[in-house]
Amino acid sequence: MSSKLKRVLHVDLTKKESKAADRPELFDTYLGGASVAAKLLEEECPPKVDPFSPEAPIIFAIGPFIALLPSMTKTVSMFKSPLTGNLGESHCGGHLGTALRLAGIGALVFKGAADDPTVVLIEDSDVRIELASSLWGMSPLHVEKTLRHTDQDGIESVTSIGIAGENGVYYSGLITDRYHHFGRLGLGAIMGAKRLKAIRVHGTGDIAIQRPTEFKSFFEEIHHRVVQTEEMRKYHDLGTPLNVMMLNEMRSLPTKNFTRSTFEKAEGISGEHFLETLLERKITCPGCPVACIHLGGLRRAFSPEHELGRKEVFEEVELVPYNYEPIFALGSNLEVGDAPSVLSLIGQCERLGMDAIMTGSVLAWLTEAYEKDLVSREELDGLEPRWGDARTYLQIIERIAYVKNSLFKRLALGTWAAAQKYGGEDFAVSLGKNSPAGYATGYGFVIGTLVGARHSHLSNMGYSIDQKATTSTMSLEQIVENIAQQEDWLYVLYSLVGCYFARGVYDEETVLKALDLIGLPKTAGELRQLGNETFQRLYKFKVTEGFGLLREEIPKRLTEIETPFGKLDPNRLREMLQHYVKIRERQGLKLRREDEALAELLSPRGA
Amino acid sequence: MRFHIEVKHPERCIGCYSCVYACSRHLFDTVDPTRVAVFVRVNKSLENPFSVTACRFCTKPECALACPQGALEVLPEGGVTLTPSKCEGCKNYDCIIACKLAALILDRRTKVPVICDRCGDCAKFCPHDVFRYEEMKT
Repeated sequence: MSSKLKRVLHVDLTKKESKAADRPELFDTYLGGASVAAKLLEEECPPKVDPFSPEAPIIFAIGPFIALLPSMTKTVSMFKSPLTGNLGESHCGGHLGTALRLAGIGALVFKGAADDPTVVLIEDSDVRIELASSLWGMSPLHVEKTLRHTDQDGIESVTSIGIAGENGVYYSGLITDRYHHFGRLGLGAIMGAKRLKAIRVHGTGDIAIQRPTEFKSFFEEIHHRVVQTEEMRKYHDLGTPLNVMMLNEMRSLPTKNFTRSTFEKAEGISGEHFLETLLERKITCPGCPVACIHLGGLRRAFSPEHELGRKEVFEEVELVPYNYEPIFALGSNLEVGDAPSVLSLIGQCERLGMDAIMTGSVLAWLTEAYEKDLVSREELDGLEPRWGDARTYLQIIERIAYVKNSLFKRLALGTWAAAQKYGGEDFAVSLGKNSPAGYATGYGFVIGTLVGARHSHLSNMGYSIDQKATTSTMSLEQIVENIAQQEDWLYVLYSLVGCYFARGVYDEETVLKALDLIGLPKTAGELRQLGNETFQRLYKFKVTEGFGLLREEIPKRLTEIETPFGKLDPNRLREMLQHYVKIRERQGLKLRREDEALAELLSPRGA
Repeated sequence: MRFHIEVKHPERCIGCYSCVYACSRHLFDTVDPTRVAVFVRVNKSLENPFSVTACRFCTKPECALACPQGALEVLPEGGVTLTPSKCEGCKNYDCIIACKLAALILDRRTKVPVICDRCGDCAKFCPHDVFRYEEMKT
């Protein structure tokens, strides 16, 4: 098989047909991942399309280093997000990317919609689009077991949606190979609208290594950096939950719907505590020796009649993946302070196929809205959300997934949409209609999430820039400049498609050498241009779809919480946004819609 | 340099396939999980621990004894070496079927079994100490 990516597989779910197109120039120019997906989105997504219509595409793309170099493992998806009504971009690990690569597929495009539940089965170059009524209503965890072959040669992957995706919850995701997620921005609901329950990919091909001697010694060097040096240690030891205590000590751990930045029960949900009391196993993506996925044992009695008063004997153990973001979203931000309860809430999101970060955000807003009498007990089906009450939260999550009544239907649209109907916009913590991750680190985090093309903390590392700024003399302007530079560079990494956690290993010099070794030589200038070009392409899409950066509101709550910078000043946030717009406009990027007057840029509004 | 290699702690496997990829890089200058002498297998679901399998270098190898052509020669230190010319023409692949571990597979390109040459790369690249290995005295 060719050592380079070239194939785009198009699947039409309406016609139940697939067609492969070999486009080597697409991958030679754009490398893969985010850049290829952005290009395909531009080609395939009609302007202003309804995200739920058959014309709306779902795009997956992988990168040129997958299976060749350590920690280059992920798959990028792009789609029109129901949550934001705009750009949807979500990345996922697991076996999917490698299975696609070994099946000879660089990118996968779904269009159309099936009438009945459907599964797409890809075996190398053979593609089958089949009826899957028996899988509808099934948890993604069961789908994985049901569809996976046993003892197959090659690499196999199963991706599916849960009930939340079937029911159109705007923040439902895909679960891939049981423990990995396309979590953010509602790809699950788009799959559900297409009645596409699951995708199985099985690849048995190979990737020829060019210049083997040089390649092997280069590989060894990278492998050593990934496994044995400090650069990635935190991800395989405690994993990202290391952040709980670290952020708590820095006064940056969002707690009780971002009202506070420290949590008195932080130790109970810390990475250390999870490790000591719940960790059962660690797993990883094929091609990554790090094992950042930590699996905790969620223990439950089989049933009351089997307990016999000895729960510790008669219990089932379900392995639930945990990492920092869900622990913040369903732990500190809801004041749930014990690890087993947090794990049970994460497990609920897994079974139903929902984004844990947005689910936590909705629950936090709802708890506060209930306290303030914006929603009633009747509307809540008799449930009373209270801080720290995981048992009630479990029931609310289920009612959202099943879209039980008009309130739950509204909650299924996300925090921003819920506040639009019921009020409480001041404490509806959302940025660009997405729920921010768990970093009350300061200005960089808020601005970074807001300006990021996909409104993620991983868009441009604003939270990490904050941490540098608080220990140096970095100005707010410099934070903004850093954010812009980082997002451009990360679009290079996301085109390759490297794991974000390996960003320290794959610096520019390493990437250039690696590209040369696989026969895709680029210059540093070309790489930087690619990152910037991809960012610009995505922003062009965003603006066409109605996004106006300077019209975005920053919820009042984010200026009330204590951060290492103190409380954030709305005027300074506004100035930072304006500075950002100036930087990007100097690069020729159009950040505003035609109808937005320049005056808006110059007159500061309340943030 | 050759090594004694043993799958000592399969329960430690995290599923990174570093051993598998290293094996195909070493043997064939490729990444190909179907042409290897070490195997990471998923047991029906990723919920279950992985199986890790490699040649155990039997002193009375099932594979060699099953071969009607004598293409697999038993080595004094255990394990086998292949004489490809003797192997050609056989369509039964008795050796593959005979190995109880399923540690032997057919190279789909050359149609002969893939034999471990004890390079030790599987163990060297494993980040979780699944393998025990030491240099062989010559």
